[in-house]
Amino acid sequence: MKKLMMLLVLGLVLTGALWAAGAQESAAEEVTLSVLWFNDANESEVFMDTIQDYLEANPNVKVDLQLVPFSDYEKRLKLMIAGGNPPDLARVTNNHVAMFVNELLPLDGNVENLDAVLKGFSPASLAFATHPDGSILALPTEATANGMIVNVDLFADAGIDIRELSKSWDWDDWYDAMQQVKRGNPGLKYALGYDFSPHRWSTILYQAGGRFLNEDETAMNFNTPETIDALTFFKKLHDDDLIPPSVWMGSENPQELFQAGLVASHIGGSWLINAYANEITDFEWAAVQMPKRAIRSSVAGGKFIASFKGAENEEAALDLMLAFSDPEHNSMYCRDTFNLSGRTDVTIEYASRSDDFNALASDLNVTPAITAEDWKSPELNKIYSYIREQIVEGLLENISMKQAAQNIHDEGNKYF
Amino acid sequence: MNRPRYALRYALFILLTFIFFFPVLWIFISSLKSQSELFTYPLTFLPSNATFDNYREALGSGSFLRYFGNSSFVAVISTLITVLINTMAGYALSKFIFPGRDIIFYVMIATLMIPLQVIMVPIFLLEKNLGLLNTLWGIIIPPAATPTGIFLARQYMMTIPNSLIESARIDGASEGYIFIRIIMPLAKPIIATIAIFSFMWRWNDFLWPFIVISRQSKYTIQLALSNFVGQYNIDWSSLLSMTVIAILPMILVFLLFQRYFIKGLTAGGVKG
Amino acid sequence: MKRKALKGSFEQTRAPLLFLLPNLVIFSLFIILPAVSGLRLSVYEWGILGDKAYVGLANFKEVFADEMFWKTFFNTLRYVLFVVPLLTISALAIALIASDNIGGVAVFRGFFYLPTMLSLIIVGIIWRWILGDQLGILNYALTLMGSDAVPWLTTPLTANISLIFITVWNMTGFYMVMFIGGLQAIPEELYDAAMIDGASKPQIFWNIKLPLIRPTMLVVIVLATINSFKAFELIFTLTKGGPGTATKLLVQNIYQVAFEQDRLGYASAMAVILMITIGVLTIFQFRMNSKEYTNE
Repeated sequence: MKKLMMLLVLGLVLTGALWAAGAQESAAEEVTLSVLWFNDANESEVFMDTIQDYLEANPNVKVDLQLVPFSDYEKRLKLMIAGGNPPDLARVTNNHVAMFVNELLPLDGNVENLDAVLKGFSPASLAFATHPDGSILALPTEATANGMIVNVDLFADAGIDIRELSKSWDWDDWYDAMQQVKRGNPGLKYALGYDFSPHRWSTILYQAGGRFLNEDETAMNFNTPETIDALTFFKKLHDDDLIPPSVWMGSENPQELFQAGLVASHIGGSWLINAYANEITDFEWAAVQMPKRAIRSSVAGGKFIASFKGAENEEAALDLMLAFSDPEHNSMYCRDTFNLSGRTDVTIEYASRSDDFNALASDLNVTPAITAEDWKSPELNKIYSYIREQIVEGLLENISMKQAAQNIHDEGNKYF
Repeated sequence: MNRPRYALRYALFILLTFIFFFPVLWIFISSLKSQSELFTYPLTFLPSNATFDNYREALGSGSFLRYFGNSSFVAVISTLITVLINTMAGYALSKFIFPGRDIIFYVMIATLMIPLQVIMVPIFLLEKNLGLLNTLWGIIIPPAATPTGIFLARQYMMTIPNSLIESARIDGASEGYIFIRIIMPLAKPIIATIAIFSFMWRWNDFLWPFIVISRQSKYTIQLALSNFVGQYNIDWSSLLSMTVIAILPMILVFLLFQRYFIKGLTAGGVKG
Repeated sequence: MKRKALKGSFEQTRAPLLFLLPNLVIFSLFIILPAVSGLRLSVYEWGILGDKAYVGLANFKEVFADEMFWKTFFNTLRYVLFVVPLLTISALAIALIASDNIGGVAVFRGFFYLPTMLSLIIVGIIWRWILGDQLGILNYALTLMGSDAVPWLTTPLTANISLIFITVWNMTGFYMVMFIGGLQAIPEELYDAAMIDGASKPQIFWNIKLPLIRPTMLVVIVLATINSFKAFELIFTLTKGGPGTATKLLVQNIYQVAFEQDRLGYASAMAVILMITIGVLTIFQFRMNSKEYTNE
């Protein structure tokens, strides 16, 4: 036993040396900005590359990038805020803005010429970043849109020119096309991978003419004929073996199914273009316009960069935030991460796939503002898991879809 | 030495190995595939083009060595502390009678029942006030007093005959001497058990590091691993290869310490 | 007789308290203190980002009328009821055949212990992948052998069975190590004496091994019970509690209430009820154990 302990201590000393060798703490008089970040793909690397020139021009500024997995991101932010120790800067989604609406640092009064700064951003993106009192809490970096990606080859094999068809189609055309793509590809068991997420599900809710909240966003208004239409259609897609049960009921990743060619289409969002451009080599794919029911709609969203009240280095943080969000840096960041920009005054030359961005953007352009109003709501975000669970209970026929709608309606109203 | 009996036992071992080992083997086999091969249908069992690229990439990045170093430091130090203080507590709780003994024991067991998730915020605040945030000591000390280890040590030491301690005491040995010279050697199997567990717990711990560490230079392997699981996507090639590498130190520790699972260690000391 | 000797000569306070001191300090500071301040929240309505308001026992009243609480409570009970006995039996059975020091046994013990070495998040991710309907290797192998694919995780029944199996698979090695440690403590002389008396293998098991590893058995059962009541990470990565809420357990519910709904006070009330439930069961297990002792 003694020898063992000696061995362990020896190992310890070695690893300690290894560990000390790497640790070089910075000298005094510098500002080290703590930046909290999550990755969809490699955004943290692109962020660091993008601000490279800023850091060179401001040698006293250092960035301490803290990478946290998305699933734990809110928890980490809440811990830091509760501890009075928020990060100087953080990458946040529109959901996070809604959640931390009172904790984010308003730019009003802290940034000179704010109106001039804001002019270049898309009003839809800015809407997400606006406090109910009208102040601006964050600057948009990427805009995201829910959308549909299709396996062009599989549809072609079934005699469908999906690019042509999708230029103007409704749910019935869509349904028929999915049936046909299965018939035309005997090995293909399912037609559509649909992200396991209420946010993505809501795409068909808006298309059906429904929404979660009432007109002035003061209560739920979920148990409506439009909602039931979307829920029933969603269940039909499962019942008719168009959507594989393994996604909503078994947590298989639709992205992996699509990559493997096991589904002919995928409803996800604009962030997929980056991943698919890197991963898919053996078939042709494209983003297409989504079909219409009552209306055409995508769901808008976005990522932002924000600072928090009580952050240690407010001034330096805001300075970096403004620099990172200016047209030059923003277009570089969006180009290299394959994202739509939250600015309207930049034209981005993507290395490839610009048709796909155009298809998603055309959906986004006709998307009603209520999608953003719904998902801005902190109350709605509190029942996120509940919505997911109730929809699955409906799919499993443990409850009727009407009951699911009523349950979600009631649960949400508890928070208003 | 009954041959057929052992043959049957080895057959059972092999069957069980298949069940327990296959999924782990699958992780290893898959770590030799490229990300695109992982999701090509029809699936392949063996990699069409076995490559250690995933490993080269993981090991090649300087930050991985840093995380590995941090994890080793935390796991080794924490294990040394845990083994020492848990056996001390186990001894006190099994071989002495004093007021409040049972209450202390039950309170320790009761701390196991608290879902750590619920008290994360107070823990965070406490670590902050003690200046332990973003330090490795902040994830070494708090979890070192494991109730499970104390429980194991207590139960094991209950089986050590009192007569051994009594005779030492009659010889005038101090309590410290008795613990180090008599109890510790007799407790080797349970020390080995606690060491194996403690190393594994600290090496695999996610929650404590998550609460305490946010600076990347202090990341442990598990924090780094969790970053491969994204909002929409999993970076399988990095996740699988790092998982395989992360198991190796635990295997080493297990094989080193399991030698002390030797039958009847206490037997020699028993005098009826 | 033993008990009397223990009482006579070991009755002292200073030495044992010194032995306990390091543990007591760490426990009080890092677990009990945060636990008290955390669980005190159960009588408050409090969110991490919101205001704090004293509400008395309102949270507890709400818990008893909360459908999701009861659903996840009974899911948890069912899970515990299957996992604890299966786990104890499998760990003991394997420990019995792997405790003799026969050739190569160390390597096999290592194999059985391997699943325990994986972090729970990895276990969840890997099994979700292996059991996947379409991209899972298990279903792929089944279809190659001409059998139908099994919806391992996509129906409430199969998801629960898979979950229980994976838990047992994951934790058997852990409790096996405990049992092996316990079995080593049995003095060799007892076997020799029994052999001389002509005892059969089953007799040795029932009359010698089983009674003598009872202290270890208690550890295993108590720990397995507590750990399965607290199960969360593995399930959350494996099924997210689904399909629907079929595998959603209490701690997942507590977690979602605390961090998604930002109701830490209400979550603490549920945690208190969870702790009381486990506490009562544990006391019961200790009682059962000591009762059987005196029956001997």
